[in-house]
Amino acid sequence: MWFLAIRHLMSRKRQSLLTLIGIILGTAAYVTISGMMLGFQTFIIDQLVNNDAHIRISAREEIITQNSLDNVFFDEGTLVKWQSPPSGRRDNAFILYPPAWTNRMDGHPEVAAYSPQLVSQAIVTRAKLATAARVIGSDPVKQSRVTNIQKYMIKGNFSDIGSGGNRIIAGDGLLDKLGASVPETLMLSVGKGAMQPFKLVGSFHLGVKGIDDSVIFGSLLDVQKLNGTPSRVSDIAIRLVDVEQAESLATAWNSTGQEKVQSWDQANEGIMSVFVTQDIVRNVMTISILLVAGFGIYNILTMAVNQKRKEIAILRSIGYEARDIVQLFLIQGIVLGALGGVIGCIAGYGICEVMARIPISNRGLGGNHMIVAFFPGIYIRGFLLAFGSSSFASFLPARAAGQMTPIDIIRSENS
Amino acid sequence: MAIELVDIRKSFGEPPTDVLRGITLTIKDGESVSFVGRSGCGKSTLLYIMSTLDQPSAGTVTIDGERVLTLNSTDLHRFRNLKMGFVFQFHHLLPELNALENILMPALKAKRSNERKKFAMSLMEEFGMSNKMRSLPSQLSGGEQQRVAIARALVMEPKYLFADEPTGNLDSINGMAVMKLLKKINIERNMAVIYVTHDLEFAKMASRQVQMSDGIIAN
Repeated sequence: MWFLAIRHLMSRKRQSLLTLIGIILGTAAYVTISGMMLGFQTFIIDQLVNNDAHIRISAREEIITQNSLDNVFFDEGTLVKWQSPPSGRRDNAFILYPPAWTNRMDGHPEVAAYSPQLVSQAIVTRAKLATAARVIGSDPVKQSRVTNIQKYMIKGNFSDIGSGGNRIIAGDGLLDKLGASVPETLMLSVGKGAMQPFKLVGSFHLGVKGIDDSVIFGSLLDVQKLNGTPSRVSDIAIRLVDVEQAESLATAWNSTGQEKVQSWDQANEGIMSVFVTQDIVRNVMTISILLVAGFGIYNILTMAVNQKRKEIAILRSIGYEARDIVQLFLIQGIVLGALGGVIGCIAGYGICEVMARIPISNRGLGGNHMIVAFFPGIYIRGFLLAFGSSSFASFLPARAAGQMTPIDIIRSENS
Repeated sequence: MAIELVDIRKSFGEPPTDVLRGITLTIKDGESVSFVGRSGCGKSTLLYIMSTLDQPSAGTVTIDGERVLTLNSTDLHRFRNLKMGFVFQFHHLLPELNALENILMPALKAKRSNERKKFAMSLMEEFGMSNKMRSLPSQLSGGEQQRVAIARALVMEPKYLFADEPTGNLDSINGMAVMKLLKKINIERNMAVIYVTHDLEFAKMASRQVQMSDGIIAN
């Protein structure tokens, strides 16, 4: 029936072309929207996964409530009524016994690398300019194994901070705020401690504004000294062999110690929920577009079935079965869907290519061009959506055509 | 014995209206039979029942010893494809296909279009249309279209040719040409030609005329 189905399509060129354009536009829109949204999401997730830890162990914060101290001063079950109820936050700024964690990490098959850190808030001063910064002290060798920071170095190497000697590297946004450049000496202070000079040996640009504008990396020893907390560690950043295991491992470890253990996606739950919302919007838009295209196919095939009643009757009378007639119309929908899907994917790819070259000022997004994803999955899904919706939309009129008997058609034509 | 109808009854609607009321009839191989009668007497209904396009409310239809009403859909369609040809009042050609392609449609279903192509071309030549093989139906006159429809009915060299008012949509000259063609087919190919007509002159061209009245055979 392919031969006749193609002839049918060719005989109503205008209708077929308009339907085809509908499918092409729907598929291209899906590919383009998915490319843009997934490009953005992938970039952000890549930043979250590779520029920080897969799992972060940090000191746990505990909010003190009215009943938090009941069992401390009284036996369990005693009714306690406070005149002035306890409140506040019990905050351990440090991991109580880091070797308990590091020993566990050393032998764990899922752990690729880990890096103990001391994270502290500081004021950075250059001449009369000052700004707040987050200072991360770490062993540069271990830190490089955990994150991709070296990849984003603009000047110097991450290893230049060494294991001591008051050397730092800073985000380029922070340096812009201070008007500083490599090599210079910046003054750092924490809390009530005295200002200490640090030599700027490098700068980085991650593309995440929140990090580029505020983070400084130094050696663990130097930051411990600056903070006045020798041997103290506030965080352990962990890189896993398989990032997919992050959530389950973090959940398991979270119940085994006093510290808070979070995977990268648990720590960024808000961002992940935005992505889920984006996906819902993208899918709703796509379904809407393809519904319109599918309705177009349904419409023209229903009209075609009505227009071709006489031909259906003659085909049935010369030996064509009901399933042949179903095939005749189904093939037309499938051809339109397949052709529209392929051309739509190509058109979508072309649009994505053009969009990926549009120069935009997106310093906060890691480049100077729009970020667009070109995953094969987008194109496969786009094609399957076009093909599936077209096939489904053509099935109903095709089935109706197959149910027509030659004698009923002849009688209705003669009456 | 080719086609045997026994006590064929057909009723339509609710309450049922009897259109055929117990028809028993035998049509021999190579016979030409015309059915005449007033509108609504049941002649077309009888033609469609004996050609397996319609089913009777009661009775049996036996063709070449085969009880066709008991055949499953696939076998029935194959039977129709190989043993029967149809010509309708309205030629019902497929407008997207040229004359030769239209003629070859039954052969296409039987996956024998290459094998039957020469025969289809010889039919067109025989019908004086050898220069119209690539013409679309819209480029043919009414008489030419009906001749293409007859060629399509003959392409599988069926044993039976059924025609429902084959001249009903043609002028008298083209109508006569079509009837002469059917007679020629009956004589030269020894093919049973069974047709329904309102025209008594055309009816007389058959070797047997069956007069129908109110759902029964009147003669």
